Parts: sequence; C-alpha cells; structure tokens
Amino acid sequence: MTSLAEESLLLKKTVILAIFAAAAVVLGIIESMIPVGSFMMPGAKLGLANIMILTCLYFLNGKDTLMLVVLKTLLTAMILGTFSMLLFSLFGALLSFGVMYGLMKISRKRLSLIGISVAGGIAHNIGQLAAAAIVIDSLNIFYYLPVLMIAGVATGIVVGIAVRYLVNALGHMKLFAPFVPNEY
Amino acid sequence: MKGKMMKRGDLILIGIVVIAALAFIVPRYWGGNESEKNHIENRFVHIEVNGEAYQTLPLTEEEQIVMIKTEDGFNQIKIHNGGVEMIDADCPDELCLGFGFVTRPGQQIVCLPHRVSVFIGVESGEELEVDDVVG
Repeated sequence: MTSLAEESLLLKKTVILAIFAAAAVVLGIIESMIPVGSFMMPGAKLGLANIMILTCLYFLNGKDTLMLVVLKTLLTAMILGTFSMLLFSLFGALLSFGVMYGLMKISRKRLSLIGISVAGGIAHNIGQLAAAAIVIDSLNIFYYLPVLMIAGVATGIVVGIAVRYLVNALGHMKLFAPFVPNEY
Repeated sequence: MKGKMMKRGDLILIGIVVIAALAFIVPRYWGGNESEKNHIENRFVHIEVNGEAYQTLPLTEEEQIVMIKTEDGFNQIKIHNGGVEMIDADCPDELCLGFGFVTRPGQQIVCLPHRVSVFIGVESGEELEVDDVVG
C-alpha cells in the first residue's frame, strides 16, 4: 500500500522522466543535423542528449536514469530511421551511463558534474568503437580513439556546464524540489 | 551557484585523458614525414565486408574508383595520390563519408550500417595491429 505522499512522488517522477525523455530525443535529433563528424573525427558527437541523462542522474536514481537511456536510444533510432545502428548507440549509451552512474556514486566529492560528463562522453565513444570493432571484426578502428577522446573532453566540458546551469534552474522549480539531493 | 565550477578531480581527469590521447596522436605526425609519401609501392588498400576480405588493391597515385556492393547497399571509394577516400554511399548515417582522405597505414574508413571496412595495410593480406600503428 502506498500512501498519498508516495503516490504523488511517483507521479512527479514519471512526469519528470517523460519530460526528460522528450527533451533528450529532441536534442538527439538536433544533434544529428549538426555535422561534427567531419575530418578525422568520424562518429564524434556533441552528446547533447547527455545533458538530460546527467541531469536525470542528478535528480533521480540509477534505475530511472537507465530507463531514460533506453527510452531515448530507442526513440531516437526509430525517429531518425537509424535502426541498424541501434546496437552501436545502445552500446555507447549504456557504457556511458554505467561510468557516470558509478562516478556519481563513488567520487561525487572529487568530481563535479563537468568531470562526470567528460568521463561519460569518453565512455560513450569507447562503447561505440568497441561495438564497431566487434561488428567489423577488427581492432583497427581504435586508431580513432585518441582523437575522439580529445573531442570527448571538449564536448564533455560543454555538456557539464550546461547540466550545471540546468540543474540549478530546475532545482528551484516546485516539481523538482523533492528530488534535489542534499549534497555540496 | 554554489561552489566552484570545477573541482581538482575534474582537472586531473581531463589532464590524464588529454595527455594519454596526445601520447598516441603526436608520434603519428612526428618522424613519419620521411617515410610518409615514398613507400606507397608496398601499401595496399584492403576492403572487408562483414569482417571478411572483399578486395585488395594497391595504393596508387593514379585514380581508381571502386564500387563495393553489399546486401545492405553500396559504397564507392576512390584511390588516388597515395590515399583513399569514400566518395559515395547510400547508408543512413553517411558517417563513412566523414572519414576524409586517409593516407597512413592503419587508418581506416568504416561504414557500420553496411559493415564495410576499408583500411591501408603495408603488405597485402596482412592486417596491421593497432600496436604497430602507434609504435
């Protein structure tokens, strides 16, 4: 039996997840329109959707965020029609989530959201390259990892700063009030 | 906003990553200059589909255009001036077109939706290990 207060909290959580998922999908679509994966950096992405994932990780728990990650990846693949790429995006997204979740748990004191975002971005690149290496059955693809790492640091910092501002702004909203973690 | 924007840990993390990445990138462009252009005779362009050899061609100065047809669609590569580039493909993401013109052994062009991999090797039929490339 759930009390009224618990039920309202659950409802709020569902609403937040739905908003985040919608925002993440839109960011994913916008991102696909911006060609960054140009010279020597194939597969480099801005990782805009990561803004929503990391924000979700900040307010809600790992289980909810995992739901958001899977939802966002599936929806984006369906909308963009890149279903054949689902394996790669899922691989990258899950590894990125795993790393950010772990760091959020163990080294929140030492790392700010920027550091966590950087680690998540790099994990995403490694995950995608690993999936690619498995499919084409060759490790040569890791040739591009160092360049992607540099790109990951740059985009990770930007995403981290965005998350910081977003978390601050959302934290003042009534909907998010019960979920603001009492850290810092 | 509470606290500082970045913590010490962030800077350490970013520093380690950048140094590690540069340690791999810098040697590629260093000292490779003299051996760069003059050895294209024994370099080959390997084309693999689904992890299996599809075609091997010599890396030439002259222009060669190769059409790779797979069950999923086509990819077109152009070999010229001692390098290779993907010039056309009907894959959904067209990431493979973003690899640009590659000239160094070990460099690779990949089209994941079509599972096509094109890479430059030093000897025919032999795959370059990652370690050989960076070492």
